[in-house]
Amino acid sequence: MSAIAGQDAIGGGTTARKRRRMPVSVLLAAIFAVLVVGLAIFGPLLAPHDPAAQSLQTGVIGPTSDHLLGTDHLGRDILSRVMAGARDAVIGPAIIAISATVISLVFGIIAGYRGGVVEAVVLRVGDLMYAVPAILVSIVVIGVLGGGYYLAVAVLVLLSVPADTRVVRAAVLSERHLPYIEAGQTLGLSRWRIMTVHILPNVMPTAVAIALLEFVYGLITLSSLSFLGLGAEAGSPEWGRMLADNRTLLAENPNAALAPALLIMATAAAVMLLGDWIYDRVSEESTTRD
Amino acid sequence: MTDPTTTAPAPGDQLSGAPLLAVHDLAITRWPGGPPLVTGLDLELRRGETIALVGESGAGKSLSARAAIKLVPAGLHVTGEVRFQGEDLNRMDEEAVRAVRGGGVAMLLQDPFTILNPLIRTRTHLIETLRSSGRRLSGAEAADEVTRRLAEVGITDASVGDRYPFELSGGMRQRVALACALAKDPALLIADEPTTALDATTQRDVLRLLRSVQQARGMGVLMITHDLRVAFSISDRVYVMYAGGVVERARPEDFLAAPAHPYTVGLIRAEPPTGYRREQLDGIPGQVPAPETVSHQCAFADRCSWATPECTTARPPLLAVTDVHASACRRREEIAGELLADLHAAWEPATVPDPPAGETVLRVAGLRKSYQRDRSTWAVDGIDFTLGSGRNLGIVGESGSGKTTLARCLLGLEEPTEGSIELLGTDVSRYRSLDREQLRRVRGQLQCVFQDPYSSLNRSHSVGFILREALSRRSPEAGPAPSVEELLDRVGLAARYAGRKPVALSGGQRQRVAIARALAIAPKVLLCDEPVAALDVSVQGQVLQVLREVSESGTQLLFITHDLAVVRQMTDDLVVLERGKIVESGRTEAVLDQPSHPYTARLVGAVPTGDAEWLS
Repeated sequence: MSAIAGQDAIGGGTTARKRRRMPVSVLLAAIFAVLVVGLAIFGPLLAPHDPAAQSLQTGVIGPTSDHLLGTDHLGRDILSRVMAGARDAVIGPAIIAISATVISLVFGIIAGYRGGVVEAVVLRVGDLMYAVPAILVSIVVIGVLGGGYYLAVAVLVLLSVPADTRVVRAAVLSERHLPYIEAGQTLGLSRWRIMTVHILPNVMPTAVAIALLEFVYGLITLSSLSFLGLGAEAGSPEWGRMLADNRTLLAENPNAALAPALLIMATAAAVMLLGDWIYDRVSEESTTRD
Repeated sequence: MTDPTTTAPAPGDQLSGAPLLAVHDLAITRWPGGPPLVTGLDLELRRGETIALVGESGAGKSLSARAAIKLVPAGLHVTGEVRFQGEDLNRMDEEAVRAVRGGGVAMLLQDPFTILNPLIRTRTHLIETLRSSGRRLSGAEAADEVTRRLAEVGITDASVGDRYPFELSGGMRQRVALACALAKDPALLIADEPTTALDATTQRDVLRLLRSVQQARGMGVLMITHDLRVAFSISDRVYVMYAGGVVERARPEDFLAAPAHPYTVGLIRAEPPTGYRREQLDGIPGQVPAPETVSHQCAFADRCSWATPECTTARPPLLAVTDVHASACRRREEIAGELLADLHAAWEPATVPDPPAGETVLRVAGLRKSYQRDRSTWAVDGIDFTLGSGRNLGIVGESGSGKTTLARCLLGLEEPTEGSIELLGTDVSRYRSLDREQLRRVRGQLQCVFQDPYSSLNRSHSVGFILREALSRRSPEAGPAPSVEELLDRVGLAARYAGRKPVALSGGQRQRVAIARALAIAPKVLLCDEPVAALDVSVQGQVLQVLREVSESGTQLLFITHDLAVVRQMTDDLVVLERGKIVESGRTEAVLDQPSHPYTARLVGAVPTGDAEWLS
C-alpha cells in the first residue's frame, strides 16, 4: 500500500533542463548526417577520381596513397565510388520518407477526424498489408516489372503508406476529442480548417518520427533490393549495389565491400539517433507545462 | 466560513508525550546545494492527532509528506531531520527505513482506481497486504479478517470482497483502499487528497469514516489537501504551505479568530462562500511562484498588499503568535487588525439580484440521450427547462448526473436521442440538419468554456492566433469586432499575452483566454462547463469575477458545475440533476436555502463547512 504512484511535477523540470544540451551521440550523428547529405549533393564533384573510370591494368588493389580505399576488380576507385554513390543511396530513402509521410498524413487525418468510409477502407487495407511480406512482394513485383531503382522506391512507398496511415490516425484520434477541437467546432470552423490548422500541427511530432523511420527503412530495404540486383542498375555506385558487386573481393580488398556496408549502417544509425532526439524536442515543445 | 466559535475542542490537545512524527528543518533540493523545492519545514504529529498540509498546487505539500517518510522521487536531495517514533530515519539504512515504513506508515492516495490493481479482487488485495506484514493466516482466518477489515471501513456487503476494483464506485474503492492502508495497523496514515476525486456526498462519508477510524485506533493522520474547509473540519492543526514553505500553522479556529498571514486570509477569502452571495469575488492577484525563485524572500511578497521592501530581503521564519499559532509574516503583529477586518469583510452577504426574465433564449423540452444502441440506460432522461434573457441558469449535479451530456447536446457535439432544443427560435436539436446560414447564426449565439484549461487551447498556436481565428467567425450583426488586445483586456490579461503560446500560461490565464475566445463572437449565451473546477482556489475567484462581468455586459451564463458555492455566486436560477433527471428547480437562493428534494438536501449538506461538526 505504500507504493507511490505520482512523481509530482518534479520530472518535468529535470527533463526541461536536459533538453537544452545536445548529447554527444546526437551531435556526432548530426555531423555525420550533414556529411552524408553533403556527399549526396557534391559527392561526384569532390571525388578524387572519376567513379566510373575503369583501369583494368590496375585491377583490384588494396589502399594506396592514390586510392585511399583501394579499387575494385575493374580498377575503379572505391573512395570515389562511395562518395558518388551517396546520392543514389540517399535520394531513394528521402523520396520514400517524404511521400509516405505526406500521403499517410492526408489519409490518416481524414480517417481519424472524419471516420466513415475513408477510415474503414484505410483500416482494412492496412490489415491486409500487415499480412503481406513486404520485401517478398517487392521482389516479385519489381522482378516482374523489370526492376529499376525508382520502381523499387514507388513499391516501397506503396507498402509503407497503410501502416503509417494507421499511426497518424491513432495520433489524430487522441487529439480529436480534446476540448480545443470541440471549441473549434463550436466556433463553426470548417472541417478543412480544423484538420489543417488545428490537428496537423499537433500530429507533426508523429509525422517527423514516421519520416525518419521510413528513411531508415527505405535505406536498408533499397540497399537490400540493390544487393539482390532489383534496385540500382548494375555498375551504379549505389551502396547496396557496390556491396553486392564487391562482396567477392573480400580477400583482395575488403574495403570495397566494407566501406559501403559501414556507410549504410552508420547512416541508418545516425538518422535514428537524430530522429529520436528531434521527436523528443518537437513533442516536448508543445506539451511541456510550466 | 461559518461561525468560528462553534468548533469542537481538538482531541489532539489532550495528548502529550513524544511525537509520532517530528520533522525538523527539512529541505528538498534538486541537487545538493541547489535551489530548494521545499525549505525549512518543521512538522510535528502526535499520536491520535490529525494534521493537515494545505496549499495550492506547487506548494510542495505532497513532496514534504513523502520526504517525511523518505519517499521522495529519485534524484531529489533531502536534508534535515525526520524522526518517526523517536528514530531518526535519515540515519538508518534503506532496509531499516523500509521496515519502518512497512510496519508503521500507510498511504491513501487520491485516485483509488490507480492504486488498486484492476485484475485483482478486493479480497485478494486485502489478504495480500495482511500477509505481507509477515502474518500467517489460514484460509478461514483470512476470510474472517477480510470481513472484519471491510466492516471497519463501513463495507458490510460481503460480495464486495469478490469484486474487482472497476466494479466498485469511487467511494467504495476509496474505502477498500483505506482498508488496505489500515491492514498493517499503521501508527501513521498519510492521506494525500483522499477525497478530491470523489463526489461531494461521497467525500463527506469518506472523511467521516477516516475520522472515526482515526479516533478509534488513536492513529496519527497527516492529511494533504487543497481544500481549506476539508482541512479545517478534519484536523486538529493545519499547516498552510505556499511555494515550498509553511507560512502559517494553527488550530482551525485560530485562522478565523486571529488570522496572522495575508496568504491564508487571501485563501479563505478566495473560497466562494456556500451560504450567501458575495459582492465581489476576489482571488489573490498574480499566481503561485516556483519555489526556486522565492527562496530568499517572503514567497508571498509579490502578491501581498501589505508587503514592504524588507519582505523581499530575506525569507521570514515561522514565528509564534501564540503557543499553538505561528506565522511567517514579518508584519503579523502590525497588520493583525487589518487582516481580521479583511476576513470579516468577506463575510458580508451581498444583496441578491433578481433581474426580470426577458424573452426566452433557450428552451429545452423532453431532452433524452442514450449512448446505447438498445437504449437501456439514459444519460439524460427527459429534461425540460427554459433560459430567459437576463437571468443566469445553473445546472448542478454529481458525476453521472448527465450534466456534461446535456452540455454536449446543447453545443451540437452530441445529437440528442429525443426531445428538442430551441435557441432563439431555431431548433438546434439536430445540428446536422441546419443549413449553412442557420448554423452560422446558431454558432454565433452559443459559445462554451470547457473545464480543462490545459487542453481547451491548441498548444501549437499563440493566444493571438487563437483569438484572431475566433474573431474571424464573428458575424457582422454582432457589431464592430474588438481587437485581440481589447478581448484580452476584457478578461484581465495584458496585451503582451497575445504573442505567447498556451504552454507559457498558467491554468487561470488559459481559462481566461478560453473565455476571451468564446466572447470574440459576442454570443448571447455562454455555456460554462465546470470552468473553475481545475483551477487553484486563489485563481478561481479571478476567473469567476471575469465571468460575472461577462454576464453583466449582456451575455447570459448557463453554468454547469458540481460546486454549490460557485453556483450560488454566479446564477439566478438553478436546476438540480440526478441521474439524468431534474429533481428540483427554482431560484438559486431558494433551492439552496430550502431544498425540497432529499437529493438536493443531501448535496447541500455535503458541502464542507469548515468546522468539525460537519463530520459528526
